[in-house]
Amino acid sequence: MKKKRIIPLLCAAAVGLSLVAGAFTSCSEKNESERTKLIVGFDAEFPPYGYKDESGEYVGFDLSLAEEVCKRNGWELVKQPIDWDSKDMELKTGAIDCIWNGFTVTGREKLYTWTTPYVDNSQVTVVLADSGITQMSDLAGKVVAVQADSAALAAFDSEDATDENKALAQSFKELQQVPNYNIAFLNLESGAVSAICMDIGVAKYEIEARGSKFMMLDEPVSTEQYAVGFLKGNYELRDKVQETLIEMLDDGTFANIAKDWELSDSVCLNKDDRLLDGGTEKKESFADKLGRICKQLAKGVGASLLIFVLTLIFSLPLGLLIAFGRMSRFKPLSWLMKLYISIVRGTPLMLQLLVVFFGPHFIFGISTSSEYRFYAVVIGFTLNYAAYFAEIYRSGIQAVPQGQHEAAEILGYTRQQKFIRIVFPQMIKNIIPSITNEVITLVKDTSLAFAISYTEMFTLAKQVAAAEATIIPLFVAGVFYYVFNFIVAAVMSAIEKKLEYFK
Amino acid sequence: MELLEITGLKKSFGELEVLKGIDLSVNEKEVVSILGPSGSGKSTFLRCISMLEHPDEGKMVYCGKEAAHSEGGKMIYAPKNELKEIKSSFGLVFQSFNLFPHYSVLKNLTDAPIHVQKRSKNEVKKEAMALLEKMGLSDKAEQYPYQLSGGQQQRVAIARALAMKPKMLFFDEPTSALDPELTAEILKVLRGLADEHMTMVIVTHEIGFAKSVSDKVVFMDGGVIVEQGAPADVIDNPKNERTRAFLKKMEEK
Repeated sequence: MKKKRIIPLLCAAAVGLSLVAGAFTSCSEKNESERTKLIVGFDAEFPPYGYKDESGEYVGFDLSLAEEVCKRNGWELVKQPIDWDSKDMELKTGAIDCIWNGFTVTGREKLYTWTTPYVDNSQVTVVLADSGITQMSDLAGKVVAVQADSAALAAFDSEDATDENKALAQSFKELQQVPNYNIAFLNLESGAVSAICMDIGVAKYEIEARGSKFMMLDEPVSTEQYAVGFLKGNYELRDKVQETLIEMLDDGTFANIAKDWELSDSVCLNKDDRLLDGGTEKKESFADKLGRICKQLAKGVGASLLIFVLTLIFSLPLGLLIAFGRMSRFKPLSWLMKLYISIVRGTPLMLQLLVVFFGPHFIFGISTSSEYRFYAVVIGFTLNYAAYFAEIYRSGIQAVPQGQHEAAEILGYTRQQKFIRIVFPQMIKNIIPSITNEVITLVKDTSLAFAISYTEMFTLAKQVAAAEATIIPLFVAGVFYYVFNFIVAAVMSAIEKKLEYFK
Repeated sequence: MELLEITGLKKSFGELEVLKGIDLSVNEKEVVSILGPSGSGKSTFLRCISMLEHPDEGKMVYCGKEAAHSEGGKMIYAPKNELKEIKSSFGLVFQSFNLFPHYSVLKNLTDAPIHVQKRSKNEVKKEAMALLEKMGLSDKAEQYPYQLSGGQQQRVAIARALAMKPKMLFFDEPTSALDPELTAEILKVLRGLADEHMTMVIVTHEIGFAKSVSDKVVFMDGGVIVEQGAPADVIDNPKNERTRAFLKKMEEK
C-alpha cells in the first residue's frame, strides 16, 4: 500500500513543476511603445565583447554599441551578466531582452530573431607555444576544450558542422566542454587540455593579455558572424535595434566604437544584408523529445552516481581518522585537524575543487592530465565531506555517556576494544540523522563538479538545455535528484529503524 | 587474608582536598559498608580504589600485590600487565547501572569474559545463564536494557560484575537511583551475596541494611574516616559527635 502511493506523488510533483515552468515562459509579453529600458544579456567573461574591466565595470564592444542604441532610443541600458548555458531560459522568461555578446549566428539561424551580422568572426585554435602542435591534424588523440554551447562546439558537433570538422572531432581524444575561457586557459596551462577552440577576437585578446606562452594556429576551424539575438518572434524590438544600428553606421558612430575596441578589421555591418527571422522549427512530439533528452542525460547519471559512491566510500572512514586526530591528546595533531576542519568548512566546495584540480600545476608545477579531472573531483569531495563527517563522528562519540567508558574500563576492555565494541555502535545510532543530512547534501553537491568541467548529470542537463533551447532537461535533472534523494532517505530511515532495537 | 589494604590515600580536585588520608583494610569474606553524608568523599574513595580516579598520595595493595604507592608526592604504579591482573581482581557496580544499551542482557554478561578474559564461549554462556537464574532474570536474557525496570537493570549489572569472577565487589550507592520497593529487591541480592561470603565494599545510605549485613561499618565525613568498627559499635553506640548527628538525621527521614 505504501509503495503505491509514491507514484501519484511523483506525478503530482512533476505536474506542479511544469505548471511553474509554464507560468515563467508565458509572461514575457511587453508593450514595445512603453519600453523604458533594454536588458542586455551577456557572458561577463567574453572580452573584448563583454567583460569586467579592472575597475569592476562591465565594458566591451557590444556593451558600447548597446549603450549607444539605448541612448538614441531613450532607454536605460541594463547590463545583465548571464550564465551562458542558461541564455535561452533567460530570454524565454523575459529576464533579458536580447543576447548581445559576440553571439554567433552561424548554426543558430532558426533559433532566434536576429539583427544583421555586425562582426565577421572565425573560430580558431589556441595551443601552448612550445607544444609542437602546428596544425589541426596534430590534435589527433588530444583533449580539445570548447566553451559549453559555443560556436566552436557547434562547429564540431552540430548538425550543420562540416564533414571535415566532424572527422576532426572524431580524431580528438575528447572534446571537453568548459564553462568559461578563464577555466579553459587554466586547463591549457596545466596540461589538462592540449588546445582551446574559440572566437578569433577573444583569442587575440587573450593571447595578448596572457603573453607569449600561447599561440594561435593559422588554420581556422570555421568562419562565422555575430549578430544581436532576440526571442524568436520579437520583431518589434529587433527592428528598432536594427534601425538604430544602421543609423549609427550611417553617421560613423559604429565605426568609431569599433575603432575604440580595435575591431575595425572584424566589423561587417551592412544595411543591405538580409534579416534572419528564425523560420519554422520542425515539430517533435513531447514524448519523443523527453525520451531523447532522458537518453542524453543517462550518461551524466552514471557520472553523478560514481562521484556519490566513491566520495562516501573514501570520506566515511577518512572522517573517522580525522575525528580521532581531532580528539587526540597529542596537541599538535589535534590543532592540525581543527585547522583542517575549519578551513574546509569555511571555504566553498567549488573553490576547493579548483584548488585540487589546478593546485598540482600552479603550486608544484606538475603537469596534469585529463584523467586527473575525475580524480580531482573525487579527491575534492572526499576531503570536503571527510571534514564534515569528522565533526559528526566527534559529536557522536562525545554523546556516549562517561558511564559507558567507565563500565568498559572496569571490565578490562582495552582502548581499541572499548571503541569498537562499546562506543562505535552507540555512536552510529547517535549520528544517523546528521549523516542522512550530509548524504542528501552530497547528492545535490555532485553538481558542483561542473566547476572543474567534469560532466556529471547537472552539467549535462544544462548543456542539453542550452543546445535544445528548452528547460525540460533541467526538470528531468530535478526529478532525478529528487528520486535519488528519496531513495537515500528511504535507505537511511531503514538503517535508523534497524538501530531502534536499543535505546 | 587481606584482599585490600589502603593506607594514607589522598585526593584533591584542584584546590579542594576531598580525601585527606584514608586507611582501610578489607579481609577476605568481609562485608564493609561505608556511610557518610554527601560530600564526605566516600564515592571518590570508592572510585579511587576502583582505579577510575588517580589518587595523589597513598599506597594501594590488592590481594597482597602492590598496585601503587607514592614517593615524593608522586604516584608510582605497578607495570601495566601486573596492573591489569590487579584490576581483574575486583568488580564495580555503579549507581546508574551503566549497562551496554546495544547488547542484550546475556551479551552484557558474556562479552567481557569472552573478549577480555578469552574464556570459552559455551562455558561463559552457561555460567551467565546460571547467574541470571540466580538473579531471577532468566526470562530476560534476550531482552535489551531499556526494556527492563531499574531494579532489573541493577541486577543485570551485578550479574555482569560477577560474571568476571572477581575476588571482591565494590558497590557505589547501588540503590540510590531506585524506588524504595526496587531498593528492597537489590538489597536482597546483596544479602544473598553476603551469605555466600562474597567480599564486598558498599557505599550506601541504607543504615538498616548496613547494620544487618556488614562485618565492618566505616563512617566518613570531611574526607576522613571518623569512626570504624563493628556495626553494633558504630551504628548503635557511636562515639563521635558527627556520627551521632548523621545517624539522627537519617532516622528522621
